[in-house]
Amino acid sequence: MAAKVAVLVFPGTNSETETWRICRDVGLDARIVHWSQAATLPQFDAYVLPGGFAYEDRIRAGAVPAHDPMMDYVIEASQKGKLILGVCNGAQILLEAGLVPGTGPVRRPTAAFTHNGPVPHFVCKHVHLKLAVEPSRCAITAALAKNALIPAWAAHGQGRLAATPEHLREIMQGGHLAFVYAHADGTVNEAAVPNASALGCAGLTNREGNVLAIMPHPERDAWNYNHPDRRDTGDILAPSGGVKLYAALAEALNLA
Amino acid sequence: MPNFRVNGLSDDELKRAAAQAGLALRVDELRRIAERLGRDPSIVEVHAFDAQWSEHCSYKSSRHLLRKLPTEGPTVMQGPAEDAGILHLGEWNGEKWGVVIAHESHNHPSQVVPFEGAATGVGGIVRDVLCMGAEVIAVADPLRFGRVEDPQSHQRYVAQGVVDGIAAYGNAIGVPNIAGDLYFDERFDDNCLVNVVSLGLLKENEIIHSAAPSNSAGWDIVLVGKATDASGFGGAAFSSVTLDEEDQDANKGAVQVPDSFLKNVIMRASYAVFRYLRENKITAGFKDLGAGGIMGCTAELCSSGGFGAIIDLDDVNTAIKNLPPEVIAIGETQERLCWVLPGDVTPHVLRIYNDEFSLPQVARGACATVIGAVQSEKQYVMRHGNDIVMDVPIEFLTGSIRDELPIRPMSERKVTDPARKYVVGEHSVADLLPKVLAHRDICSREPLFVRYDGVVRGTTVIPRGYANAGVIAPVQGSPLGVALSVAGNPRYGKVDPVLAAQYAVLEAVRKVVAVGARPLGLTDCLNFGNPQNIEHYSEFAHAIDGLALAARELGTPYVSGNVSLYNESKTGNAIPASPIVACVGALQDVAAVITSPLKRPDSTLFLIGRPHNAAGGAVFAELVEQTGGPLAPIDYDRAAAEIAFFRAASDGGFLLSARSIGNGGLLAALCAMAFPTLERSAIGVRLTGPASWTGGVVGELEAYFGEGGGFVAETAQPDALETIASDGVDLIRIGQTQNAPSLALESSQFDLRELHRIWRAPLALVYP
Repeated sequence: MAAKVAVLVFPGTNSETETWRICRDVGLDARIVHWSQAATLPQFDAYVLPGGFAYEDRIRAGAVPAHDPMMDYVIEASQKGKLILGVCNGAQILLEAGLVPGTGPVRRPTAAFTHNGPVPHFVCKHVHLKLAVEPSRCAITAALAKNALIPAWAAHGQGRLAATPEHLREIMQGGHLAFVYAHADGTVNEAAVPNASALGCAGLTNREGNVLAIMPHPERDAWNYNHPDRRDTGDILAPSGGVKLYAALAEALNLA
Repeated sequence: MPNFRVNGLSDDELKRAAAQAGLALRVDELRRIAERLGRDPSIVEVHAFDAQWSEHCSYKSSRHLLRKLPTEGPTVMQGPAEDAGILHLGEWNGEKWGVVIAHESHNHPSQVVPFEGAATGVGGIVRDVLCMGAEVIAVADPLRFGRVEDPQSHQRYVAQGVVDGIAAYGNAIGVPNIAGDLYFDERFDDNCLVNVVSLGLLKENEIIHSAAPSNSAGWDIVLVGKATDASGFGGAAFSSVTLDEEDQDANKGAVQVPDSFLKNVIMRASYAVFRYLRENKITAGFKDLGAGGIMGCTAELCSSGGFGAIIDLDDVNTAIKNLPPEVIAIGETQERLCWVLPGDVTPHVLRIYNDEFSLPQVARGACATVIGAVQSEKQYVMRHGNDIVMDVPIEFLTGSIRDELPIRPMSERKVTDPARKYVVGEHSVADLLPKVLAHRDICSREPLFVRYDGVVRGTTVIPRGYANAGVIAPVQGSPLGVALSVAGNPRYGKVDPVLAAQYAVLEAVRKVVAVGARPLGLTDCLNFGNPQNIEHYSEFAHAIDGLALAARELGTPYVSGNVSLYNESKTGNAIPASPIVACVGALQDVAAVITSPLKRPDSTLFLIGRPHNAAGGAVFAELVEQTGGPLAPIDYDRAAAEIAFFRAASDGGFLLSARSIGNGGLLAALCAMAFPTLERSAIGVRLTGPASWTGGVVGELEAYFGEGGGFVAETAQPDALETIASDGVDLIRIGQTQNAPSLALESSQFDLRELHRIWRAPLALVYP
């Protein structure tokens, strides 16, 4: 039986449909769960927090939804070792909830995904996520190749990792820096980073490796029609490109 | 109930009283109202007529002219009768899918408070699409700004605020921005243009009409959304007067306050209501609140069903206590919609909005609530407290009033000297090309559109920057594609409003054809000056003739549109004639989409179309200071043949890349095709001399930079392409692609990386 995945919708979430579609396309039993249905959350095997502007980014992106009752269930599930993936606004919520890098108490964030640099405005740009830890370091990435490159769209106004120098060192040394931004050929440099994020950070994981927070959207470059290089390769509607990350999530859930 | 005194006042006294009350109604209109009612109108009534009879709502000076536009054809699912039109996209799994399209302007508000003005523009157009029962799938923004060079200027503030407003609203509601254009001109200094286009998706049997259904007497009128406040009172009337610099602070109160967060939730809740109604086979009426607020929306909903209405203003959820009844009735608080529902269905719909999507918790005072009922008597009645504050015949309120203003015949328009004025040989291509690419109307738009989410929903096939039109694949599990383009060149509008209107249609159509799509239909937004001025009203009237002619010739009907007049400041600075057109195209299979980046070295480049010596309105003509010459004439037989040939070539799979030729001409188009390749393995261009492909009858500058149109296309099968070209088509081999980052012309050679740098720089100063 396919693993049951909840795609969470907070007031202001806007990417639930494509996130649900790609989860379904990799064989997961995905359901969209609204904030008024929070009580149904314990029955799921894994949780995906999609992009958007939950609670309209009040205070800071992710800060208010981190305290939504839905997150009580997500935090409890994370402590039980269930898999949790946050994308864009979902990543911001996981960071504000203290689930990544997870080095402090719950709901006491130690770092932030905050206003992009050098000029603080929304950026919609095609990017590549590069796996910066051993695949097995995080359960969700375990099925990926070493240094895997995943195409995705950065589409956010607050994606720059900001933390104290000491905490950034802790993130590096603890193996929390799961993904960095890279060029299409895998090169990593400043020009590949769309938002001046510290460490070139595109994604973080927790100590246990069951929570993954990534800023760019692999699900927006996840079918052949989404990308010029793949439009003439077979079925135009087939999942491809960014699907890799969701396929890895499905594989992790199927093994569990 | 207090009245507005009409009877017994002289014309002068009445005019003063109207101005004092902030009414745009004329003396003759006020007398007509008092005469028909047989009494002085109440304060609420006079404001209701002020909104309903404004140009914005009534189209009083445009409706009879707009009838000239073709609105029928096999691609039309629903023409321009409601808030949005619908085009047949195609069939999939035995179901007929339609694309909803609406097009509006939010010019006046954006000039005064740019961020809120532009954001509410997006919000309004999205509601127009939503209320047809559609899922909102895309937006596009044609923008026109004044001179923005001075960082301290109001024009710079407007240009930045508008883009930030569009981004903030569109990004938050999760609708991809897939097309748009941008022009600058000093004549937009006092009146920016902010047009918004939105697309929706539905099945043919799922359309919800903006009318009370045929059996709906006694049904509930349900208001959904934000708590009514004092914002946007007088908005419709405000849009129908000229902007006065000194009144700008006073005008701010007429601008509505957007709430994209609440809208995001209302959209999703409304989708859930659509599903509920479909599953239970319930017919309902649904309409968005725009101009004229609760009064305008409910009056039109009920009137178009042949009914009247009774509204109880005490039942409206308000944000502030003790709002005057005219503000509750007519104020244009954003983020509101209105349902007409059978009484037994109402509780289910209220539950979806108020409980499942918890509107009251999402925004203070927001909810869905019953505010009145449909009645068979054709009278529009509003109650407030113990008073009847409005009681008028509904058809008198909403029926078409008409102003036929004087028009000057076409022949009186001055045609300036058509002869070439610049000295041949004085301007080299080497000098001009960098200037053309750095021109404010040509340079890269990326600093602007990078701020817009172009890929949310995961359906985007061509985001902005990779083709003339945006393309999405909106039907889940289907390869059907939707293309969207916009066009409307103000430099042409200054030279010749009629031909400018025709070029807007032709360019919009060519742009969707250039991505491999079949043009389905059009919308138009007619942005002009004050209609009371014979010059501007004549431009407007003749431009409609131009729009009608081009659409007939190309076989593309209009399914919706909008008129924005009074784009003029009190100092008399009026905008250039700005008919702006959007075109929707369909792709049977998005796998066949064509983008503009060049694909491989040593392929052949073709010009499809005939270069022309007329250069009026062209960017290069401005740069060599030749202004006022005529636009290149349009030969519709050739244009239609080129489009038909291009479609045959794209359907046959002969084309690797292509672009329609417009702003900046052939070389600007080729540069736009080469620049994206610089990120990877650069592909350059080598052209033969234009004398060899124009027969020597067209000047070098005109051949390279002329904006008469056509397409440029890359193919690996040049001979095969030539064999399918019919006699009426000019298909000209102009050169090859090459494995080097350069543009090689007969007379000069350019480093594409350097040109790319020049092209990218200018707009980044405005949008850092």
